[in-house]
Amino acid sequence: MGPPLQPNQCGSRLGAPPSLPAECGGVACKPGLRVGMAVAAAIACRLLRLRAAGAGGHWRRLRGAGLPRGFLQPASAGEDAAQWRRVAHFTFQPDPEPLEYGQTQKMNLFQAVTSALDNSLAKDPTAVIFGEDVAFGGVFRCTVGLRDKYGKDRVFNTPLCEQGIVGFGIGIAVTGATAIAEIQFADYIFPAFDQIVNEAAKYRYRSGDLFNCGSLTIRAPWGCVGHGAVYHSQSPEAFFAHCPGIKVVVPRSPFQAKGLLLSCIEDKNPCIFFEPKILYRAAVEQVPVEPYNIPLSQAEVIQEGSDVTLVAWGTQVHVIREVASMAQEKLGVSCEVIDLRTIIPWDVDTVCKSVIKTGRLLVSHEAPLTGGFASEISSTVQEECFLNLEAPISRVCGYDTPFPHVFEPFYIPDKWKCYDALRKMINY
Amino acid sequence: MAVVTAAARVLGSSRGLGQDGLLLLRRLGVRGLAISHPQRQQQRFSSLDDKPQFPGASAEFIDKLEFIQPNVISGIPIYRVMDRQGQIINPSEDPNLPQEKVLKFYKSMTLLNTMDRILYESQRQGRISFYMTNYGEEGTHVGSAAALDNTDLVFGQYREAGVLMYRDYPLELFMAQCYGNVSDLGKGRQMPVHYGCKERHFVTISSPLATQIPQGEDAHPGPAVGAAYAAKRANANRVVICYFGEGAASEGDAHAGFNFAATLECPIIFFCRNNGYAISTPTSEQYRGDGIAARGPGYGIMSIRVDGNDVFAVYNATKEARRRAVAENQPFLIEAMTYRIGHHSTSDDSSAYRSVDEVNYWDKQDHPISRLRHYLQSRGWWDDEQEKDWRKQSRKKVMEAFEQAERKPKPNFSLLFSDVYQEMPAQLRKQQESLARHLQTYGEHYPLDHFEK
Repeated sequence: MGPPLQPNQCGSRLGAPPSLPAECGGVACKPGLRVGMAVAAAIACRLLRLRAAGAGGHWRRLRGAGLPRGFLQPASAGEDAAQWRRVAHFTFQPDPEPLEYGQTQKMNLFQAVTSALDNSLAKDPTAVIFGEDVAFGGVFRCTVGLRDKYGKDRVFNTPLCEQGIVGFGIGIAVTGATAIAEIQFADYIFPAFDQIVNEAAKYRYRSGDLFNCGSLTIRAPWGCVGHGAVYHSQSPEAFFAHCPGIKVVVPRSPFQAKGLLLSCIEDKNPCIFFEPKILYRAAVEQVPVEPYNIPLSQAEVIQEGSDVTLVAWGTQVHVIREVASMAQEKLGVSCEVIDLRTIIPWDVDTVCKSVIKTGRLLVSHEAPLTGGFASEISSTVQEECFLNLEAPISRVCGYDTPFPHVFEPFYIPDKWKCYDALRKMINY
Repeated sequence: MAVVTAAARVLGSSRGLGQDGLLLLRRLGVRGLAISHPQRQQQRFSSLDDKPQFPGASAEFIDKLEFIQPNVISGIPIYRVMDRQGQIINPSEDPNLPQEKVLKFYKSMTLLNTMDRILYESQRQGRISFYMTNYGEEGTHVGSAAALDNTDLVFGQYREAGVLMYRDYPLELFMAQCYGNVSDLGKGRQMPVHYGCKERHFVTISSPLATQIPQGEDAHPGPAVGAAYAAKRANANRVVICYFGEGAASEGDAHAGFNFAATLECPIIFFCRNNGYAISTPTSEQYRGDGIAARGPGYGIMSIRVDGNDVFAVYNATKEARRRAVAENQPFLIEAMTYRIGHHSTSDDSSAYRSVDEVNYWDKQDHPISRLRHYLQSRGWWDDEQEKDWRKQSRKKVMEAFEQAERKPKPNFSLLFSDVYQEMPAQLRKQQESLARHLQTYGEHYPLDHFEK
């Protein structure tokens, strides 16, 4: 696996000479390459910069803004040297401040993860955190400060080997200690697939409950990020959904992330916790400082409605939330929005109950359409709610391609595609 | 040997980065590693120094172009205590174990051998679905098991039943697992020989060994290493031992396990049974280096090669490795050379890829059981009369357990559904109920008579 992208640096790993404005997400690029490459990098930085929350989900034109003189002109020199700047395809909507868990603090998603890990290590003396680069704080800063606070035997780096990380984590869990493994990107989880599917998931079953690795949790950054391309954008939940014995969880926000992660860590079954990396900094809300749990295998109806049920998880929840507003505004259609939260074992009852009420279902995820988890939901719902359906179940997903780089805006199941599918269902 | 000496010179006693390397990283502002080694002195990092400054290796410069020649002609020597006739070669290496203990070695090995014969036959007769024998490797199991504490955690591959036998796992339970009957602690979930025992600290065998598609990826050293790390943190004074064959050592998981054990300083013994074959694949097709022991130094692991058919050599090496692994929190690699006398499993006929003469040599000339018997006899601790009696007795014990196991029913079919998770998810309960309903109508087409109600 290649070296990871530093999300708080620009999307390219190339540097820029000090003479150029260092403007990659507000953090200086590393110095020192030849000018030509540096120029390309600077352009790339601008093109791929991810904007924080608050920006609308649309493209903006920048007319050659901020380009210093003497740059190599792009091939279309002479034409309008317009630049497209990417902004996020969603708007993060914070939930209202939770009042039932005590004092809260403003946290983004990675800080909420750190808080959950901090709480876990404080409560559970056997708990350890390990993976690539976690010692200095992690490439997404999820483990900042934990090694200093809890010691090097509890927060430590491992060699670069995902099958080793998960295998090692299983072993710790078999002895009853709490193992929190980090896989640097969900895209890199595949070398550990055998350990997860053949070992972790089956440990309890195959031993007749003599042994188990229930105290294992695997965390990994997940989903599209604007510039991640093939190997920094994947959503592999469907591969694991097919594996009885593990749980797979995806939070939509900092508050959800902390509560769900704590539940995963305390759950007596091995869990995979996918963290939407695009939300690490973009999602900010009030999060309780003390530990609290959000139950697993329970979907949340975050908005009630009567005409269509919309189901998603992770980042996509914010997309469908916006689609719900659009539907209300433009079509007068009332949507029920559900965040699935746990992929397996999933909350069939909540989804079916909703579809029985509305008669229409739209499921959306970034992962490719074929074999994606929407197929499972669709299949189950049509079995359970066939006579209640007013229209075929709609799936709005990524295309059946690897996750592309420059084509990301066309690839993702954005609100326009979801809106269009919803409109067709209403008019069916 | 050149590899070993060169490696020893390179690695010396340090593991991981040398001092200069750490200082370089400190300069570049890599916080994690610098913080982890606060005890390193501040040395002047100077580019005027002609010594190598690379963080990645602690070595001198050389101005002669020379490739290290892997030495496989005369590889790492094989430690042994007894000769093939069971005579002690160097008396100072004799562990001088008491008679009772050595008799336990002998009886464990022979009881295992007897059980193997009977269960192999039973598969041939269609009474159990599958079996794997341990012929020729009994010494590796018993010698190592005897050197451990009873609470040391064992992660086996699938040819280590002798470890359980030495730990007094009852015949009834061996049979129960092979039959998958109601007494099976594993609840009938796995194929025969996938034993597990929590009380005896023997982690349930895992290996997706289907009869037609045997896989080599049976050993998963990763979990063993994690367990060792946890034991170290808990100050448990326990070692973890992980057994695997020379074939499984080719898996990526083996590499991962070795590297993690070394970098994370885990008290673990990696015990490789090099028995010459991975199903039909001979060692010449499994690796080109000097076996498995030569890999250890590459990871910074203390390593030794022993005569696996010499139960005292295995015992001595494991005992010392255990002592030091716990005292020093570092991994040890023991490569026990032996020979797989039996077929890979009941799905294999090894005459397809090796000569009967070769097998007979090992059976007759270099067998761990015979060698130990010669030793016992020369000490006056065993004779032909006792041998005859013991054979009869052990056979009787095995047959009784066998007949009892065969009579017992299998567990209730609903146990198909439990233990997937700690708690049964709603969807799975629905599936369990749907099977129950299905059987109410179609039960006659299913072998319900053999299963507990």
